[in-house]
Amino acid sequence: MAEDSIYERLKQQGVTRRDFLKLCGAVAGAIGLSGLPPVQASGLPVTLARSGYKARDQVARVLETKSRLPVIWLEFQDCAGCTEALSRSHSPTLVNLVLNAITVEYHETLSAAAGFQAEGAKHNAMEKYAGQYVLVVEGSIPMALDGAYCTIGGRSALDILKESAAGAAAIIATGNCAAFGGLPKAKPNPTDAKGVWEIVTDKPVVNIPGCPAIPEVFTAVVAHFLVFGALPELDSLNRPKTFYGKTIHDRCLRRPFYEAGKFALSYDDEGAKEGWCLYKLGCKGPTTYNACASLKWDGGLSFPIQAGHPCLGCSEPGFWDGGGFYQGQSAPLSRPDLTVVGAAAAAGAVAGVAVGAANQAQKKAAKKAEKAK
Amino acid sequence: MNWTEILAFTRGPLFQVALVIFVAGMLYRLVRVLMLGWQKDKVPAKGSKAVGVVKSFLKGLLIFPFIPWVKRTFTKNPVIYLAGGLFHLSLFVVLILGAAHMLVWKSLLGFGWWTLPLPIVDWMAAVGIVAMVALFINRLFNPVLKLLTGPAEWLNLAFVFLPMVSGYMLTHHLFFRYEVMFSIHMLTVDFLLIWIPLSRISHFMFYFFSRAIHGQEFGKRAVNP
Ligand code: HEM
Ligand code: SF4
Repeated sequence: MAEDSIYERLKQQGVTRRDFLKLCGAVAGAIGLSGLPPVQASGLPVTLARSGYKARDQVARVLETKSRLPVIWLEFQDCAGCTEALSRSHSPTLVNLVLNAITVEYHETLSAAAGFQAEGAKHNAMEKYAGQYVLVVEGSIPMALDGAYCTIGGRSALDILKESAAGAAAIIATGNCAAFGGLPKAKPNPTDAKGVWEIVTDKPVVNIPGCPAIPEVFTAVVAHFLVFGALPELDSLNRPKTFYGKTIHDRCLRRPFYEAGKFALSYDDEGAKEGWCLYKLGCKGPTTYNACASLKWDGGLSFPIQAGHPCLGCSEPGFWDGGGFYQGQSAPLSRPDLTVVGAAAAAGAVAGVAVGAANQAQKKAAKKAEKAK
Repeated sequence: MNWTEILAFTRGPLFQVALVIFVAGMLYRLVRVLMLGWQKDKVPAKGSKAVGVVKSFLKGLLIFPFIPWVKRTFTKNPVIYLAGGLFHLSLFVVLILGAAHMLVWKSLLGFGWWTLPLPIVDWMAAVGIVAMVALFINRLFNPVLKLLTGPAEWLNLAFVFLPMVSGYMLTHHLFFRYEVMFSIHMLTVDFLLIWIPLSRISHFMFYFFSRAIHGQEFGKRAVNP
C-alpha cells in the first residue's frame, strides 16, 4: 500500500494550503533552516539556494513528497514523563505537524492494543520498515542481573533495545534516563542503569536529555530527520548543538542580577520577590546546557527559573548526584566523613609527636655528649 | 571522560582527599612547633601578659594596616608592603566574603554568613592578582630576595596564583566553557590544599602564635611597641 504524502494527509484533515505553508515555515524555523549551508548539506540542487529560495519551500517540498516517518517508541526504566510532555505540549502548530508527520507504530503508553497484539504490531512494523524507522527510547536500560530489573513480554530491556536498534535508521534517546541513565542511575545505581548510546554504538544516536525532554526540541529533531534524512549536528554528548549549545545561565532572565551580585537567599525573602538570581539557592544554570531559557515551556510561557525555582541541571549526565539541588554550585559535592577527618588529624598529630619526641631525644643526647666532653 | 565527570571528580573525591591531607599535614606542623617547647619563665613579670597579647593582636590586625607609615617595613619599601597587604586583604574578601566561597564554608561548617556583592569581590580578586604580579616582579629583581628565593618560593607563588586567576576567569566566563574553567579552578584549589602544609604558606597558622608570643613578652615588660 503506497502511503499518502504528509501534505495529502494534512489536506484530508482540512488543513489549507496557506496553513500548510505556515507550518512549513515553523518547521524551518525550528530546525534552524535559514540560509544556504543546510541546502547544500541536504544534497538538493544548489539552484534552490539561488534567489528566491525559501527554507519554507524546501520543507514544503519534502512534506509534499515524503510519506510519514515510521516511529517505534520503546519505554524502559522511565516515568512516561517525556511522552506526557510531548502529547500535552502547548505548541499546537509545530508539535501537531510533527505528530501528523510521523506514524507511531508502537508505543506502550499511547497504543490502544496491548499484550501480544501490540508486540505483534511492533514486529510487523520492524519488518515492513526495516532500515527506515526511527527508534525512540524513553527510560534507561538496566544491565544488572542480565537485565531482569526491566522486562516486557518476558524479554529484557537490553534484548529488546538491541533487536529494535538493529533495523533502525536512527535512534532518539529522549529524556535524561535514556540519554545518560537519569534517575535510575542515581547512586548507588542498584540496577546498573545505562543510557542508550553506551549500549548501541553502531547506529547514530541523538540524545535529547532533560527531565522531561523539551517537546519542541524533540519535534525539531524529528523534523530535521524528516527533511534531511539525517540527524542534526551534535555536541560531544550527542546532543543537538542548536538547542544545547548554550547554558541556561547564558540566556537566563535573572542574569543581570547575577552580574550585580544580587541573590535570593530563601524562597520568600525580598530577593526572591524581586526576581534576583538563584545561584545561592543551588541554581545549576551555569553548567547546564539546554534550551529552557530561550524556548521555555508550555509554548513559551515560563520555565523553572522564571517561576522562582533554581535549575536542577536535568539535561546533564549524573545530575542526580551532582551535589544537593538546593546547595550552591561552588559547594563541594559532599562533606568528608567526620571520622575520616578526625582520623587524619589524629594521624598528623601522632606523627608530629613521634618526630618531635625523636628530635628532643636526639638533642638531649647531644647535650649529654657535649657535657661529657 | 567528559568535563562534567572531571568537574565531579575535582569537586568530589579529589577535594576530599586534598582536604584530609590538608588537615593531617597542618596538625603535624602544629604539633611539631608546640613540641619545640617553651623556655621556663623565671623573671617576675612587670605587667600583664594577657593584656600584651590582646594589644599585639589589635595593633597587628586593626591599627597598623591603617597607619602603615609608622612601620619601617613600609617606609623602606612601600610598594611591596602595600602589595603584600592588599594581597592578603583580597584573599580574605574573596575566600570569606565572596558568595561562592561562603557557600563552600557553609557546606563544610553547616552555617553561612552575609556576603559582599559580586562586583566588589570581583574587584578585590583583580587587586589580588595585580598584587601577586607585583610581588613576583619584585622577587625577580630584588637582589636580596633573589638570594632567598628557591624553587619552593616560586611554587608558593604559582600555587596561590593559579586558583586566583582561574577563579577570576571562571566568574567572567573567559575563554573556556564554565565547567572547564570550574574544573581547572577546583584542580588548582585541590593542589593548593595539598601544598599548603608542605610549604611555608602554612605561616597563616603560625602568625597567630608569633603575635601571641611577642605580645606576651611586651606585656611582661610593660613596654608598648
Ligand atoms: C584557597 C583557594 C581558593 C582561591 C584562591 C580562590 C579564588 C577564587 C577567585 C579569585 C574567584 C573569582 C571571584 C570573583 O571574581 O568574583 C573564585 C571564584 C570561584 N571559586 Fe574559588 N578560590 C579558592 C577556593 C575555592 C574552593 C575551595 C571552591 C569550591 C569548592 C571554589 C569555588 C569557586 C567558584 C564556584 C567560583 C565562581 C564564583 C562565581 O561564578 O560566582 N574556590 N575563586
Ligand atoms: S538564576 Fe541560575 S541561570 Fe539564572 S543567572 Fe542565576 S545562576 Fe545563572
